[in-house]
This record gives sequence, C-alpha cells and structure tokens, in this order.
Amino acid sequence: MEAQRLEISRLYARFAFGPRPGQFSQALAAGFSTSAKNLLNTSLSDPSLDALPLPSVPDLGQRPSPGDTAATKAFNLSVRTQTEEITLWWLDRMAIAQNPLLERMTWFWHGHWATSIDKVNFALPMFNQNQTLRANALGNFRTMAHAMFHDGALQIWLDGNDSVKNSPNENLSREFMELFAMGVNNYTEDDVKAVARAFTGYQVGRTSGDVKFNLKRHDSDPIKLFGSNTPLDGDSATDLIVSRDENARFITERLWFRFISSSNSVDIKFGVQTAFANRDIASAVKALVSNGALSVPQYGVVRQPVEWFIAICRAFAIQPSKLSPRNFALGHLLKMSQVPFLPPNVGGWPTDEAWLSSASAQFRISFASALSKQIDFSALAAVPADKRIDYIKDLLGIYNFSARTFTALTNAKDDLPQFFTLAVCSPEFVVNE
Amino acid sequence: MDTISRRKFLQLSGAATVGASAAMLSISDIAQAAIARPLPLGTPIVVVVTLYGGNDGLNTVVPYTDPLYYSMRPEISYKPEKVLQLSDGLGLNPAMSEMKSLWDQKKLAIIRGVGYPFPDHSHFSSMAIWQTASPISHISTGWLGRWLDSQSVDPMLAISLGSVPPPLFAGAKRSGSALPLGGLVIPSGKLAMRCQTLSKSSSSDSPLMASAATSMGNLFDLSSNVTSVLKSPAPIAADLPVTNGGNAGGESSLQQQLDIVAKLIVAGAPTRAWSVSLGGFDTHANEANAQSALLGSVSSSVARFISQLKGSGRASDVTVMIYSEFGRRVKANASQGTDHGTSGPVFVIGDRINGGMYGDQPSLSKLVDGDLAVTTDFRDIYASILERDLKADPAQILNGWKGRVNLLYK
Repeated sequence: MEAQRLEISRLYARFAFGPRPGQFSQALAAGFSTSAKNLLNTSLSDPSLDALPLPSVPDLGQRPSPGDTAATKAFNLSVRTQTEEITLWWLDRMAIAQNPLLERMTWFWHGHWATSIDKVNFALPMFNQNQTLRANALGNFRTMAHAMFHDGALQIWLDGNDSVKNSPNENLSREFMELFAMGVNNYTEDDVKAVARAFTGYQVGRTSGDVKFNLKRHDSDPIKLFGSNTPLDGDSATDLIVSRDENARFITERLWFRFISSSNSVDIKFGVQTAFANRDIASAVKALVSNGALSVPQYGVVRQPVEWFIAICRAFAIQPSKLSPRNFALGHLLKMSQVPFLPPNVGGWPTDEAWLSSASAQFRISFASALSKQIDFSALAAVPADKRIDYIKDLLGIYNFSARTFTALTNAKDDLPQFFTLAVCSPEFVVNE
Repeated sequence: MDTISRRKFLQLSGAATVGASAAMLSISDIAQAAIARPLPLGTPIVVVVTLYGGNDGLNTVVPYTDPLYYSMRPEISYKPEKVLQLSDGLGLNPAMSEMKSLWDQKKLAIIRGVGYPFPDHSHFSSMAIWQTASPISHISTGWLGRWLDSQSVDPMLAISLGSVPPPLFAGAKRSGSALPLGGLVIPSGKLAMRCQTLSKSSSSDSPLMASAATSMGNLFDLSSNVTSVLKSPAPIAADLPVTNGGNAGGESSLQQQLDIVAKLIVAGAPTRAWSVSLGGFDTHANEANAQSALLGSVSSSVARFISQLKGSGRASDVTVMIYSEFGRRVKANASQGTDHGTSGPVFVIGDRINGGMYGDQPSLSKLVDGDLAVTTDFRDIYASILERDLKADPAQILNGWKGRVNLLYK
C-alpha cells in the first residue's frame, strides 16, 4: 500500500504536473497499473482544452526604425503582449488539461531544445516552435529532429540564419550534437565543423520564423561525417546524427534525468533505451512509467518552479491567466527563475538542488503567500480541522508528511491561507520523493 | 567529460546545500556568531566574476599592432586609435575606460593566454573544468568548494549572488550560500515561525528533502544576519544593454550584484569568497556592439565596486578575478561574430596586485586548429589566489598543482 502510494504520487507529479481534486484517492483505489494506463492514453478528447482560445500572434513585421520612438514603443508593447499571451496560454493548457501528459512532454522538450525569446525577440516563431514540439512530443524523435532543424526560432537562437558556405557558423551544429541529439564527447571537433557545413544556406524570416533553403549559400561539396563522404544538407546530416547509437543512449539519459533521477544514472533493467530503439518517444515514456523505475525509493526529484506552480493550479482548479492581475503568475515565476520561453541558456533549466537555494525558498514562500489570497478555500474549510492534513496530502498527491511538517500544519490548521502556504512549501511537496 | 558527468555538473550547479546536513544543526548558532565577530580588517577577500558564454579575449585585450589580427577578422576588429593602449602592443576594448584607469593605477594585472590542456569547446564542459579546476578527470567539487571543505563550518564564508549557486562553491562536505537579488522579503510573524518549523530536519528526509529544509532554514539564519546591513532597498537593476549573445548562462545585472557585495564587505560580513556573474558573451553573431556593451558593464561595475570600498579600511583586502570559460575563434564567421575558441585573458585586480602584463600573448601566426594556444594554465592563478588571499595550500586543493603566477602579488 505504501509502495503503491509512492508510485502513484510520482506518476502524477512527474508525468501529469500533479493530480486534480479527487484524482489521487481514485488512483489509489484503482491501483497503479490502471492509473498509469489511463495516463498514457492520450487519445481521449478534451473539451475544456479544445475550448481554450488560441492566443492571437499575428506577424508583427519588421521592427520600426530606432528613430521612430512612438512606433518603437507601440511595437515593443505588442511583442510583450504577445509573449505574455502565448506564455499564459501554455500555462493554462498545463493547468486545465484533463490528461496533461502531452503538455508535460511538450514542457520537457522545451527544456531540451531550450530556445529563449530573449534573443528570438518575436513571439510568433516561439509559438510556432511550441506547436511543433507539441505535435512531436510523443511522436518519433527523428521526425522531431527534422522539424526542429527547420524551426525558425531555433535557427535564430543559434545563428543558423547567418551560416554560409564560405564561413559556416558552428553554433547550431555544436549544440545540435552536444545538447539536442548526441551528448557531449560523442563527436569530434571535426564533426562539429562538418555538420556546420551541412547546415549552411538556411535563412529565416525573423518576424515569422519561416525557414527557406538557399542553395547559393549552401556548401554543396562532399562532407566527411561519420565515415561517409557525400554532399549533405540539414536533413541528411540530421538523419546521420539521429541514426547514431549515441542518439538513443543520449535521449534515454535526458528523459531519465528529468523524469526519474538526475543523480542516479540510467538503470538498463527498466528497458527505456530498448523501448526507444526506433526513436519512438511514446514507447520510451511508457517504459519510464510502467517498468518499475518509479518504485525505486532513492529516485527523488525536485519540482521545478513551473511544475510546482502547475501542480498547485491543478489541485485548486486555478487557471493561471485568470489570476489577478493577469500576469500575476509570470512575475512570480520570473523571480523563481523559470518562465516558459525564457530558459537561462541553451542547456535548459537546471535540476534538483539548483531549485533549493535559500533564494528559491524565499521566492517560493512569497509566491505561495500571494497565491493564497486568491484561492477559494471553501472545499478545504468544509473538511473538519483534524482531517485537513490528510485531505491536503491527497489533494496535492504527496507521499507522506514528516513529523515536523505535520507539526507546522497542525499549528496552522485554522488559518487556511497559511495552512496552504506551508503545505506547498513543505519539503515533502517541493521534492517529489 | 562523458554525458553522465555532465549531468553531474548540471546537478552540481545548484549544490549550495548538498553535504551540509552534518553542519545543519549548528548553522544558526554560527551565523549568529558571525555578527558578533565581523571579519577582522586586513583579512583578504576574493571576489570571483564569471563571464558566461565565452568572452572574446582578442577583442577584450586587443593586439592592435598585429596585422594578422586585422586580416583575420576584418569586420569586427578595433582600430589602433580606438583601443585604450596599454603596453606590449596590446590595448583594452574601447568600452573599458574604467579598467584603463585601474591599469594606470597599477592595480590591474592581465594574465594572457589562460586556459588548460586539451581545450574543450562546449560551454558546459569548459565551464565545469574552470569551476572544478580539473581539466582531465571529472570531479564533482569546485575549487573554492574544496577550500570551504578545509575551513570550519560557516554559511557566511562563501556567498554567491543570484538564486542559483555556482559549482565553484560546491564542496564535498560543505558549500557556499546563495543570496537572492532584489531585496530580501523574509516572512515574519507566525508564518516565519511555522516556516522555521518546516525547515527542521527530519529523520525521514531524503537528501533532497533535507536540502529543501536546510535552504529554508538558511533563509532565516542568513536573513537575520544580512538584513541589518541591507536596510536600504536593493539597488535598482542598472539598465543592461540589449544583447544578442545571451544564450549561455549568467546573472543579468553585474552592477546590482557588486553593489550588494560592496555593502556587505563594508559592513564586515565574515565572508572570504564572493561569486558574481554576467551572461551574454556567446557572441556568434553581431559581436562588436554586444560585447562592448557587456565589457563596458564589467568595467564600470568593477570600478564602481572598488571605489565603494574606499574609506572602509578594506579596499586593500579585496582581490577581484574576472574570467570566462573560453575565448573565441580567431577568424570571424560570416555573421560578424566568432565561434567557440580556447584561451583568453584573465583579469586580477586589487591594491595588493602588481599591475601589468603576465604570461605570453598567444601568437596569431601559430594557431592550433584555428585557435589560440594556451600559454598560462588557469591553475597558476587559482594557486596564487589560494596561497596569497585564502592562506591555503594550493597543492591540497588543486591536486598537487605547483605552478604560480610569479610576482602577481606585492
């Protein structure tokens, strides 16, 4: 029973951002394998998600000339508004999805192909990238890699736009191999230069993110890469990279690192890499969920700020964009150093202990306190005071509270906003054991 | 580094409280004692400034008399009359006028061609090597973290600004603390009491949960110590230039970080090592404007920091070291930028420093695969700092390393 509670707690925290009200106790009754099966089934329709209007992200066109201050000001406001809208739209999707596995995987891939609007500077290419990631989030990695090579935001982010035959830019080539598809030290410096040549000639419309191939700028000479010596372009080079065994190992490791444990290396007995042999992401995720890795006691993870916030939203039926003011969540997430579309660098966000500094603790408490003023606690108030700790434990899908947390919550059980703040800032919620 | 060890590095990047559990019970007592015993005047203090993204050394310290410099990067070179001329045919980036003034005062040492054997071109691997000071074998502790390991437990001893502590402060037994930017808003009243209850250790805690609890507890311990010296509101973030190279880490406002460090040093915080950072140096495209704006920020922030120490009696205690994970390729690319390179200059600044040039300038006619040669190992600099400022045995911390930057200190 205890073991099952641990596994179900992890199932929801890691693959669904957290349970919705009542879901955790239902899952305990239904058992882990039924719950896992339900979670892995993403084919059911989701009327509330379908009803969520798409953000309005028209192509804003070229930035006005710097001398035109009025136009520049209006333009900057439009970029900012669009950025907020796409970010809130995505947070809303995470929070209201009946089955958020697809959103959870999209979030994973955003951290993997980490691209920041800080340099892209237009919301439309970022939005298009997000849709590309979603379309491929549980699909085939090879298809995803091709789509991402042709993604305008990624091309802008890593200077692909400026890479031409006589002077290839290595930024995209290096990070494509190091961070996206192969892992560091699984290629040589000559490989970086070779792939950079294959990646020449792609041009991006900055405002739209449309990518076009310009043969005149492309290096069409034969390129030596991984033992072959033929002319290569972005797609054929991507194929060669994804076909390497290192790709299967690397993507398996990245999935494991985020979903299972960042401090324990992949245990092959759970068969994740085998499941990913054909580059099928859904099979790899199924192996992560179903093959027992979630039951190993020492595989704890720290919820990243977005995951922590969305788990609260799901437990308390909060839609992020409906908080007041509308960008309330974005301001707090920024203080916690994690806003979607704004990763700190091309390596994505850090993991585990990075979110456990005293600075993070401070911003987490202040976020939770501010949130507690906007939450409807009537359901919690209806629970008898002596049952509230058990209630919130199941509501948040927490494995167990330690004695110190139990004491802190007991002291606050009649002050519901504070009771909430303490529960969501407790080590047992911040860390998913 | 293999992939697993790189993961370890990423994991390490937040290891502020890892391993501190043994000392957790007494942290509060010791932090309280820190107020009662301010750092004695005359105790050396090290401030490490990390420039994330790979700063282009050739356009920081410009070889303006070398025709090869102009032929290899025709569009992003600085003309002789623009650079701030120093000596040996070298001049500072035009944006670094305050650094030039420190040079004129003989407080700025420029160590040239700094790197390590078999340079790695990955941001993450190379930064891990610099911060762990272990170029060949991967290890999970930072060079100042290992120094912390040799000290008695004190959460105030090494502090990094910003919410994510750098790996260089991660020791095997204890680690530096993190201080957030933007003012401290610490809970008070009942919530504070209850949060402190939440931060008690529990026998059922996993290592991660213990870290979560400790970090919350440290918040209260640290805050009770530093809020008294941070009564005035946190400085407003200085406007940072918009750059297009910002994809490889680092905090955004160096001036804001250094303002807080200056205040705390003047107030007598018992802190021997500080870490601040600035990102945005990954200038694969349109480098000139972006880099000079960033270097201007480094130059003015550091000079302002040093001037803030004047009158405190501690100005001569402080050594500032500025480094980046690598320099950049000598030949420019087609995007008016440069790709990842190898060695670069390191700046060491202070009253006790003998200003001037150190190490050999890497030759532009003897490139290694298009990259600058490494002429000084960064461990020489670390060893000098450990020995002269932190009074530690460098060999113990740097795996037997014997090299030094000769005559760097007065």
